[in-house]
Amino acid sequence: MLERLITAYNEAVFDADRDTALKIIHDALNSGISPEDIVFKIVVPELEAMMKAVSETHNVSLAQHFLAAQIAAEVTDEMTAKFRKLPESAGRVVIGTSWGDFHGLGKKIVAGCLNALMIDVFDLGLNVPAERFVDEAVAHDAQVIAISSMMVHTARGENGCIKVRSLLKERGLEERMKIVVGGAPYRYARELYKTVGADAWADDGITAGRVIADLIKGVRR
Amino acid sequence: MITGMDRLVAAINGGTSDRIPVFCNLIDQGAKELGMPLQEYYSDGEHVAEAQLKMREKYGYDNLWSLFYVGREAELLGCEKIIFAEDGPPNVGHMVIKDYDDIHRLEVPEDISSHPAFQEPLKCLNILKREAGGKYPICAYVTASMTLPALLMGMDKWMELFLLGPASVRDELLAKCSEFFKKEITAYRNAGADVFVYANAFGSTDFVPMRLFKELSLPQMEKDLSVGTDGVVYYCGGARMNAVLQQVIDKLGLGAYYLSPLDDIAEGKRIIGERGLTCGVINDIKLIDWTPEEIRSEVKRMLEAGMPGGKFLFGTLVMPYGIPEGNIRAMLEAAYEYGRYEGHVNG
Repeated sequence: MLERLITAYNEAVFDADRDTALKIIHDALNSGISPEDIVFKIVVPELEAMMKAVSETHNVSLAQHFLAAQIAAEVTDEMTAKFRKLPESAGRVVIGTSWGDFHGLGKKIVAGCLNALMIDVFDLGLNVPAERFVDEAVAHDAQVIAISSMMVHTARGENGCIKVRSLLKERGLEERMKIVVGGAPYRYARELYKTVGADAWADDGITAGRVIADLIKGVRR
Repeated sequence: MITGMDRLVAAINGGTSDRIPVFCNLIDQGAKELGMPLQEYYSDGEHVAEAQLKMREKYGYDNLWSLFYVGREAELLGCEKIIFAEDGPPNVGHMVIKDYDDIHRLEVPEDISSHPAFQEPLKCLNILKREAGGKYPICAYVTASMTLPALLMGMDKWMELFLLGPASVRDELLAKCSEFFKKEITAYRNAGADVFVYANAFGSTDFVPMRLFKELSLPQMEKDLSVGTDGVVYYCGGARMNAVLQQVIDKLGLGAYYLSPLDDIAEGKRIIGERGLTCGVINDIKLIDWTPEEIRSEVKRMLEAGMPGGKFLFGTLVMPYGIPEGNIRAMLEAAYEYGRYEGHVNG
């Protein structure tokens, strides 16, 4: 039965059909499947399936990424409230767009995805100064700083990731915190993340979930 | 002397000139050319026209732009704040639509040509037309109704409304944006623009799944372009279009298709064939770091894929501000050299 549900849910999410996806989840809950199983055996595997589809075919649209993350976040919020015991946090991330950048969609997709992976997300919003990224990461004891940029000059500029890297170095935080970047400029120049001093990058918001989860494992302390 | 317009017309008609047409989208670089900050540069249509003419003369490419920055369209619809940068395109700093009531309240200007926010682009167009009209194609940038809401409410809010919101509100906004589009393209046409870059990220399956492309994007594009398709170029804002080309050609039958740098040029050319001009577009973000040799080799590869059979144009995407001038020249010189038609007799 679970397998049938997973297939139906995956199809609904891939088809960008939120209503059907939510109906499948609620029907599953009513049929006795636990909230924990809904998150860990349906929602998270669906995100994994989408990551696989992205890496294999590159034919998953931004709308599908957006919807998958929205649905995952919505279902996870609803289900975790019903968990028998509070889920253990899988890590902490501060996220925002780089200084001078006002494009928030990518960040929103990443945050939704991380939520389903039980990673705590502290959203710093748009146009975030480098100092604030670092200060907030320290305040929340985050393992990862995630910086989204949609424009070439905000990705490469001196006040973006480059400055965050330099602040981490200056304050001796490089072992404790990693930097991940994402956004259009990185898709067109796949080595750019190294130029700006990031530890990793992600091709899209959904894949970012896995990249960030891997980075967190590398710095768990 | 052979002009950019001669080259473009020859390519559109399947003939040959001395070389393929080469379009180079230098926009913000105009400020550097005139030695002034971007905000000051964009405050006066004379600055933009002067820089456009100077840069075309200096580098020798074939087109001119009347575009200031994309947020100008939001200003025509009530945006009151543009945030300028020192080294890149400005951001829209005030969202015209904050909630659904703003959509009901949104008013499309009766006459774009007399709108205060259109006066500087109009001044620029008049100068370009006077100085280079008929010799070098003048380009205008017009955002499709399906993508325009992203400039008015932010891409995240628009995506939310588009996918999850009430269809009636979404359709009301699309209808208003389409009305605006028709008026805007008409205003540019009346002011003397020759080429209309129809920018529609939502016209790519990189943005929307095929089902929504067929159900929503394609019909919406038909509505927009009911106003006429002369000189209209299909462009998905850098997103790929090969997967939808066949359908776009069948439904809209436009004259030119400006591929993504991520599209396979040979495949795009095969699909478009004789039915339109294929525009192969270089991944110009890489021009910042590539060596001149790497640039030459990439241009050569692109032209070998796109030139056989004619009806081909070489173009750039966003041309980031940080590209060194030497690399701009390396790209253009390679395009002029490898884009030459052997045996052509000048005149």
